[in-house]
Formats: sequence, structure tokens, C-alpha cells
Amino acid sequence: MGELVLSNRSTASSHAESDGEVTQYLTFSVAEERLAMSIDAVKEIIETPVVTRVPMTPDYIRGVINLRGNVVPVIDLGARLGRGPITLTKRSCVVLVEVRVGQDGHVLGMLVDEVRNILEIPFEDIKPPPEFGSEIRTDFIEAMGRVDDVFVIILSVDHVLSMQELAALRKLSQEAAPSGTDVEP
Amino acid sequence: MNLDSARQAFMAEVAELLQSMEDALLTLEEDPEDPESLNEVFRAMHTIKGTGGVFGYNSVVDFTHQVETLMDQVRSGLIPLTGPLIATLFECRDHTARLVDAIGDETGSDEPPLDPELRAAGEALLARLGQPPASDAPAGSEGVADPKFLPVASDLWMITLKFHRDSFRDGIDPLSFLRYLGSLGDLVHVATLLDAEPTADDAFDPESCYLCFGIAFRSEADKPTIAGVFEFADQDCEIRILEPDTAQAKYLDLLAAVPDEQVGWLGDLLVRIGALTSGELAHALRTQGSVLEPDPDAAPAKGKRRLGEILVEQGSIKPAVVEQAVKTQEAVRARRQEETQHIRVDAQRLGHLIDLVGELVTSSAAIRVMVQRAGIEDMSDVVDGVDYLVSEIRDNALQLRMVPIGDSLSRFRRVVRDASQELGKEIELVITGGETELDKTVVEKMTDPLTHLIRNSIDHGIETPEVRLGQGKRAGGTVHINAYHDSGHIVIEIADDGAGLDVARIRAKAEAKGLVKPEEVLTQEETLRLIFAPGLSTKEQATNLSGRGVGMDVVRRNIEALRGTVELESQLGVGTKVTIVLPLTLAIIDGFLVGAGPDQYVIPLAQVAECVEMSEAEAVKRHGERYINLRGEVLPFIRLIDLFESAGRDRAGQRESLVVVRFGHHKVGLVVDTLLGELQTVIKPLGKLFERLRGVAGATILGTGDIALILDVAELAAIAEGGRDIADKRRAHA
Repeated sequence: MGELVLSNRSTASSHAESDGEVTQYLTFSVAEERLAMSIDAVKEIIETPVVTRVPMTPDYIRGVINLRGNVVPVIDLGARLGRGPITLTKRSCVVLVEVRVGQDGHVLGMLVDEVRNILEIPFEDIKPPPEFGSEIRTDFIEAMGRVDDVFVIILSVDHVLSMQELAALRKLSQEAAPSGTDVEP
Repeated sequence: MNLDSARQAFMAEVAELLQSMEDALLTLEEDPEDPESLNEVFRAMHTIKGTGGVFGYNSVVDFTHQVETLMDQVRSGLIPLTGPLIATLFECRDHTARLVDAIGDETGSDEPPLDPELRAAGEALLARLGQPPASDAPAGSEGVADPKFLPVASDLWMITLKFHRDSFRDGIDPLSFLRYLGSLGDLVHVATLLDAEPTADDAFDPESCYLCFGIAFRSEADKPTIAGVFEFADQDCEIRILEPDTAQAKYLDLLAAVPDEQVGWLGDLLVRIGALTSGELAHALRTQGSVLEPDPDAAPAKGKRRLGEILVEQGSIKPAVVEQAVKTQEAVRARRQEETQHIRVDAQRLGHLIDLVGELVTSSAAIRVMVQRAGIEDMSDVVDGVDYLVSEIRDNALQLRMVPIGDSLSRFRRVVRDASQELGKEIELVITGGETELDKTVVEKMTDPLTHLIRNSIDHGIETPEVRLGQGKRAGGTVHINAYHDSGHIVIEIADDGAGLDVARIRAKAEAKGLVKPEEVLTQEETLRLIFAPGLSTKEQATNLSGRGVGMDVVRRNIEALRGTVELESQLGVGTKVTIVLPLTLAIIDGFLVGAGPDQYVIPLAQVAECVEMSEAEAVKRHGERYINLRGEVLPFIRLIDLFESAGRDRAGQRESLVVVRFGHHKVGLVVDTLLGELQTVIKPLGKLFERLRGVAGATILGTGDIALILDVAELAAIAEGGRDIADKRRAHA
């Protein structure tokens, strides 16, 4: 099985503006929950390669992978969403996403349990996120999309993969980390 | 022609010229008579004016023209070069830089309108240059001839100058050359001729130059010096200089002094000893090429005679000199080759080459892995050969980007000069080891931290002359920058003989800021390191230069970002020394691969001192033990799998190895499971996500395609140390 390269990114970012317009979403599952993400940010989906662990980082940083000679960090979406680290199976995939910080684009991998499909959700089926009642941090949720009368959570790439937060949180947890590292049990 | 790239070349050239002007001015401060430096300043202004003129940057041309005119007068001895004048020239140099910067900001091809502030500043500067009233200046070429000395004597140089039509447009002022020539000797007679024979369709153009000069000149100067007067007009003027008889004897002596076996090109040789100018030679070669086959060196004796004949006919030289020159040609050839051995290359291209070499290193490692896996014996020799070649290519490619650090250090002479004047201190900057080479990218990133450290030395370190004399020191302080190579690293030391750091004050300040608790006991070294903590500055009064307390932690971060370390030694009243240790390159290193748990890590080979087996006898296995007895030496060690909390391994009964690594003056042992050997390591940055990760310097891709992280030993030791402190305290509380 090869890698699935998504070339269709024609639907522009103006998806929220005019009704009747259709935006494409990539849907996937994490901890048996169906999630979606605007396909604009998605560059590529690959089978899970060998992930090299980076020590002294929190559990949502799964490690780094060799993507055609480049070292790309991989975020464990399960851990990031508070559902615990993902257990690798045959179906687990890494979704490569480009995150912009200022002028620069950074490629991040996002480990998910399974990639489902690409959906077109019409604008009128996209509802604002619930104010409470979700197990996922509210700012991670961009909107709810109704698909076949079931709501899927549309994740906010900017918040879930906020470079600033990912890098800063790492530091917080690292400061706590050394306390336990050097004491032999 | 691409105007943008031409403009970039202009910018680069201006930057270089301004740098050399600055160096020259600094030299002139010491020795106002130094003719080379005077020339250098003049040349910088002149060339910037000329090139600026080509682009039509009138603001630059106007300003530099004035400075050039002044320098011309200084050079001719009309205006004495005083200290204040040099100071003003420094400002002129800075102003030129600003003018050029103002152009550089624009992207259009037209010159932007000059910022009024900038214009006013320039005018103020020019006013301060105090151009002397016109009556003070000599009237130029005309009227200098003295009727008592008519050009009949044989000790006169005969110089003819024929300016090209475009001379004025290129910013050439013929009179300035004559003025300068006058400073070298007597202008016995100057005949001004008009070279104008306007043809019917070429009407007289007031912007064109039709001037010709015939000059009889008496001087002790040699031919290159005289020709040097017209150096800037080379492209715009036909110059013919015929030496007096007295000079002939000197050339013969010079030629005889060159060893016979060194034979080279005749023309170059004559130019070199000063008997011929390059313009004359070029003319002769053209004549030769048009009459005979252009082959001056294939049949040396014959070819030379022909060139010599032409030169004599042309009136450039006398036969005796040509004869003598025959014997001395090779020396010139050798020197000539040396001179042409430099090529300027775009730094980006070099960067691309080094990237490709990095890929090559990775690919060849992959081949090695495959060959080993397939077990093809015959192949391994070939692979060894390829490996060797690849590592040679790598070293050579990296070498291309190595530059001597001195070039960037010399700019600090200006920093020291300006700062010491501002603060009323006498400070001498001594630079040693400037020839030490390191990667250009590292040099660039070191400029800011070094500037900061040097300013610190000037500002906090060196005391005022009164204070110094009161303490029995010399009135003038010294800041010494020293650079040298040490085991795959470059060491830069910045030492001053100033006040030194007051440990007690640092301590008090750190306590006030809550960085340390009053009951904590710190060694002198640890207290000094507090200087690098954010927000700590011991100078009560913040000055213009430094002392805002935002310095040293930034310096440390910058250096650490280059995988370097910084250490500080100081003795109160004696001085301070900052030692920076940097890796030579940021791209590819020799690494040592180790395994710890399921993971593999690379340790920079240059830091590996030795590898020993962790035998039962050496390691004390008591709880909390963290030192090892290595041949009587007490060595702290870190067990990687513990520090990294590696999972999935039962440690009991496993054989472990100890890799002894050193950084700065420290040594530490890393306990690993397996030693996997040396490998060429292409450093891949870990990216923004990990920019605050400590202990890991980067990543590399192994031949298997797997990733191994590159360890930063110094940081690991610091992390382990911090962890221990916390653990110790917890134990103490319990």
C-alpha cells in the first residue's frame, strides 16, 4: 500500500463565507471518536513509519520520523486530545499537516488511529461548537459538522497544532521531568 | 543584465570598501602619515563614487565626491590629517553606509528621493570637513611650470595623458590627478592639448572630455608610484610614462637581482619591476597581436624579442631594460598564478553543495548497510573506498565555507574605539589567532554575542584611567581576543585586564532577584555563572553601551544555539576572561553511535575521550551513587536510559559501556548499552517544535533510514545535575 497524496485542495479557505459552498474535510478517528479537519492544511497521509522517540518530551510528542530525508515531528493526537497515547495498529496513519508560524511553514505529523475518508460538508450543515459537554478542550473544536444526521467534531488546526503551545507545554512538563529521572528505584 | 544582482554586487562592494576604509582610518589614527591608508580612504571614496555614478545614485556620488576631494588634498599634503578630521572621516564613512543602505531598501530601479534628515546630516558633515577656501588650493596643473626649468634635462619623466571622451561622465577629474602628481615631485612643464577633432556627425559635446596633457616631471619616485597616481583613471585614459635615464640603471639592478632560473612573461615582469605600466603593455600586446600570431610565450626567446621590440618602438621602454628582463620571467609567472587562484563564489551555492554532500553521506551509509546485510564480501572493499572518498569530499566541501575569524574580529576595533572615546577610557584591542578558520555561518551568528561581550569588557571591565592609575595599573586597559582550534572546536577568548567581577555583588544581586537562596552555598565558579541568568546586571548605572541586564543570558543562548558553550573566569581587580567554545561547522560532523535501550544516539566524536566497559568493580552500585572510579579519577556519570526513561529493557545482567566525553574543562561518563561505532553525521535541525528542548542538538538519518538523535553532552550533564539537586533536596527533606 502506498501513500495517499491529496492533490485536491481546490476548495479555497473562503469556505465559511458564502452559503451553498462546500468545504472538504478529512475524517479520521482517534479513540473511537470520529473527527474531521479541513483538508486545506493537509499535505499528505502516510502509513505509520518508524517513529524515533525524543526523550524528555511530553507524551503528546510521539517522536520524529524520516520523511524523504527530512526530520519531521509527529504529534500523538490521542495524547494531545487527552485520550491517552495511541496504540499502533495496522490502520494507524500519520497525517502530515503544514502549520504556519509567521512567514514560515512547518510540517508536522499527526498520528491517528485510522483515516476514514474525505467528506464534503455543505455550509448549512456546519454548526457552532457546543459550549460544554464535550470531552475535548473547547478551543480545539472549530465547529460541528452534520454528516448523515451524526455530528462529527471539526478540529481547529491552529489550536490543536499550535506551535507555540506545543513547544511551550513541552518545556513546562520538562521542568517537572528531571525530578524523577535520576533517582534509581 | 540583471539590475538587481548588479545592485547587490554594488552593495557588497561598498560594504567591503567601507570596511577597508574603516581599517585604514583606524591605522591613520595611530600613524596619520601612512600613505597606504591615505590611499585606501581615497580609493574607497573614489570607487564608491564611480560605481554609484554608474547606477545614478546621485546622493552617494555627491557626498563621496566631496570626501574624495578632501582626501585628495590631504594626500597631497595640503590639509593636515588631524585627530578631529579623522573622527569626522569616520562619520563620513558611516554616513556613506547610511546613504547606500537607504538605496538598498528600495526595490525600484530609480534612486529613491533622499530622506531630508539624511541630507541634512550629510551637509552638516561636509561643512565640518571644512573644505579650505579656494585660494588655499593650488591652481591645479596650469601655471606650475617654472621658466628656469625647461624640459631639457635627462632626469625628467615624460608623461603623456590622453583622457577618453567619457572621463567626466565616469566621475574622473583630470586635474585631481595632476594635483596629486605634483605632490610626488616637480611638475616642470605641463602642456595642455586639445584632442578634439570632432567629425561632422560628432559635434562638440560639453560633457565629453577632449583633454590631453604632456607633462615633464622631476621626481625621486619610481614608475609604479607615478603610474599609481593614475591608477583610478586606468580605464579612462591612455597613459604613457617614459622614465628618465637615471631610472634605467635602477631597473637593470632590479632585474639582475632576480634569480636567473625564474623566467616568466616579459611584459608582466617589466610591469612588476615598474619599468612598464600595464596600460603600455596592453597596448603593445594589441600591436603584437594585430601583426603577428599572438604567441608571446610558446617560443620564449623569440616571442619576447618581438614584444620587447614593440615596446621600444612604442616608446614605453629602453632596450637595455628589455634585455635584462629576459632572464627573470618565471618568477612573475609563479606569482601571477598565485594571484589568480581565488574565485568568488556565492555563499548560497556553497550551501547547496554542502547540502548535497550531506545527502551523499547519508546515501553512502545506506549502501554500506545494504552491503552488510547482503553479506557481499567483494563489495565491502569498494564501499570502504567510497566511504573514504565521501569523507574527503565532505571535509573539502566544508573547508570551502571556512573563513578566518580575523576578518570579522577586526570590525571590533571600531567598536572599541568608539566606545572608549565615549566613556573616556583608554583601551587597546589586541587580536591574536585571527587566522583561525571556522564556518562562515557560525561567524555570522557570533557577531552579536561577541559585540556584546566586548562592550561588556569596555563598559564594566576596563576602569577609567584615573581609577586604573590609582590601583597601580597602566592607564590604558587592554581587551584581548584570542582564537584557536582545540579538538574539533574553535575557542574564542575575550580577556580584559579591568576590574573583574565582584562575586559578592553578584551574589547579593542574585539573592535580591531570588535567583539563589541566602542559605545556598555556591562555589566561585557557580556564582560567576549566575551572570548568565536572565535579568542580572551588576552595574548599578545602566549605560548607553550595556548594563541593562538583558545581555549575558542572550549571549549564552546564542552560543548554545550554535551548540557551543561559554565559561567565565574572573578575579576581582585583575580582569575577566570569557571563553567560548564552538563547533567548527553546523552541517556535518563525525559522530559516535551508541545504543541505549531501544534507541540510538550520536555523540559528537570530537567530544569522545574514550570508551571503557562498565565492569562491576568500577561502578559502585549503591543507591543514588553517581560517580565512578576511572583509574583513580572521580568521574560523574549519567545512565542514558535512566535520564531518558527508556522503556522496555530489563537492565539486570546487561553489559554496559561507559563513553567518557569531555566538554570545556569537564568530563562526564555516559553509560550506554552498546557501542555502535563511528559514522559521518549530517546534522538535521529538529525544527521549531523542539527549539527549547535541551540535551539534544539535532538529529541525523542513519544508513538504515532510521533517525538517531545527536546528544548535547554539556546540556545533558546540566540536566542531570539539576535533577540530582532536586532529588538530593527531596531526600534531605524526607
